[in-house]
Amino acid sequence: MAASCMRATVLSFGRSNGQCLGNNARSLLGIRAGYSTALSINNGKGFPDRGGRMPRRAKRESGEPRSEKMAENQDWTAVYPAAAVFKPSAVPLPVRMGYPVKRGVPPQKNGNLELMKIPNFLHLTPAAIKKHCEALKPFCTDWPSGLDSDAACEKHFPIKVESKEFVSAGTSLRNPKARVVTLTVKLSSLNLDEHARKKMIKLVRDRYCKETDTLTIHTDCCPLRQQNYDYAMYLLTVLYHESWKTEGWEAEKTREDMEEYHWEGSVSQRNALDTLLRMRVASEEEEDPGAVREELLGQPAVQEYKDSVTRLKNEGETEDAMLQYRQAVKKLLNI
Amino acid sequence: MAAPLTSRCALLGATLRQLSIGGTPFLGARGIHSTAVCYKNRAARIRVGKGDRPLTYEQALHPHQIGHRKGWLSAHSSNLHEEEGAADRTLEDVFIRRFIFGTFHGCLADELVIKRRGNIIYICALMVQKLPPQKFYFLLGYTETLLSHFYKCPVKMDIQTLDQRAVYKYV
Repeated sequence: MAASCMRATVLSFGRSNGQCLGNNARSLLGIRAGYSTALSINNGKGFPDRGGRMPRRAKRESGEPRSEKMAENQDWTAVYPAAAVFKPSAVPLPVRMGYPVKRGVPPQKNGNLELMKIPNFLHLTPAAIKKHCEALKPFCTDWPSGLDSDAACEKHFPIKVESKEFVSAGTSLRNPKARVVTLTVKLSSLNLDEHARKKMIKLVRDRYCKETDTLTIHTDCCPLRQQNYDYAMYLLTVLYHESWKTEGWEAEKTREDMEEYHWEGSVSQRNALDTLLRMRVASEEEEDPGAVREELLGQPAVQEYKDSVTRLKNEGETEDAMLQYRQAVKKLLNI
Repeated sequence: MAAPLTSRCALLGATLRQLSIGGTPFLGARGIHSTAVCYKNRAARIRVGKGDRPLTYEQALHPHQIGHRKGWLSAHSSNLHEEEGAADRTLEDVFIRRFIFGTFHGCLADELVIKRRGNIIYICALMVQKLPPQKFYFLLGYTETLLSHFYKCPVKMDIQTLDQRAVYKYV
C-alpha cells in the first residue's frame, strides 16, 4: 500500500544521494505517497493507485439521508413494512444510545451498533397492526352462537386434548417436545355407574384428580403427535370398556380395597352393639339375638353414631366432624 | 513424530496427575497446557495507551459490561432455557464472522450483528465507504447466495455505510 510506495520513493532518493534513509528519517520527513506522483511509481499498466490518497476518480458523495425528505404525514408502514434492523437514515428520530463518555452524551444514531443489536418494533405501529387485522378479517369466522358459556363448551366438548407447538430460530423445524399430547376428561361426563366409576379410578390411580373430577392421560411414548393422540384416545376407550366389565376376581374385594368407609360390618358397629347389649337390662335374655340387634340398630342414636363415624373416616378429622362424633357418643352412652 | 502431540501431552498429564495423587498431599494435580496462554481477564480488552488510538463503542467497553452497557452481537432462541441447538448456532456465527471479515476485507467498521428470525439469518454490518457501491452490491449478493447454499436456509445481509469509523473514545 502506502508503505510500498514510500519505500520505492526513498530508495530512488537514496540512490541519487548515495545514502540510505532509515525508518525514523522517513517518518520525520513526512514522506507520503502524495509526493510520489512526481516520480510516478505507476508502471504504466493502468493499475489503480493502491495508496488511495489521491484517487483518480473522485469518490461519490453520499446523498442526504432519507429522513430529511420524509413528510410528516407519510405512510410509516411503507418505510418499515416488515421487521428490519434499525436504519438511522430511514428513522427521522434523533435517538441516542449507549453509555456516555465522561462529560459527554450517549453516542448518536449514525454508526451506532447498539441500536442495530436490539430488536425494534418500528414495523408494529398501531396503523400497521390495523392493516394486519384488516387483511386477516376475510379469513375469520364467528364463534358458534351455541357455545356462549363454559358450561355449554363442557357439555358439548367434554374431552380436551392439549399439545404444544414450538417455534425457534435455527435451521431445523423439528422439536422433540412437540410430540407430547395431554388428554383431560371429567368422569362425570362419561356414562359410568358406581362400580364402573370405582373400577376406573382404581385402574388409573394417580391420573385421576379427586378435587376436579378429571382424568388426565399424558402420552409421549410415540415419536409423532398423531400417534400419541391416537394412543391417548385408545387408552380412554379401553379404560371405559374395561371398567364396565366385571371380572371374576372382583368378587374377592376385601374391606381394605374399599374406597370409602362402610359402617355396616365394621369393627365400630360390632363394638357399639356389644356395648349397647351390655348396657341393656339383663332381664330379657330369652329374646332372639337377631331381633335385639335389629332393634338396637334401628335406634336414632345408633344411626347418628353411624353417620358421625362414617363422616370422620371418610372426610378426615375436622372440628365439625369431631363435635358431631362427640354429640353422637354422648347420646349413645346416655352421658 | 510417532504419536500426535495432543495424545503425548494427555499421557504426560495423566502420569503427572497420578504421581501427585500418590505422593504429596498439598500439591494439586499438575497438568500440561498445550494451548497458548489465554487469560480470561485479558480477553477482548484494549488496554489504555497514549491517547491516539480511536476505539469504537464495542471495543471500548469490556466484556463484563455485556448485559449492562453493551448488548449481544448474536441473537437467537437457542440460548434460552431448555432450547436446543446452541452449539450449532454458535459455530455458524463464528464462521459467518470470519467469512464476512475476509470477503469485505478492510471495510468492516465494527463487529457484525447476527440475528435469526425463524430460519432466516440476518447479517447486519456496519461498513466504511472503502469500495464503490457496485462492488458492495456484488459482494453482498455473493455472500447471500453462497451462505444460503451453505447453510440451506435464507441468509440476508443489511449493510450500512459510514464515511469513517464512529469513534467513541481515544485510548
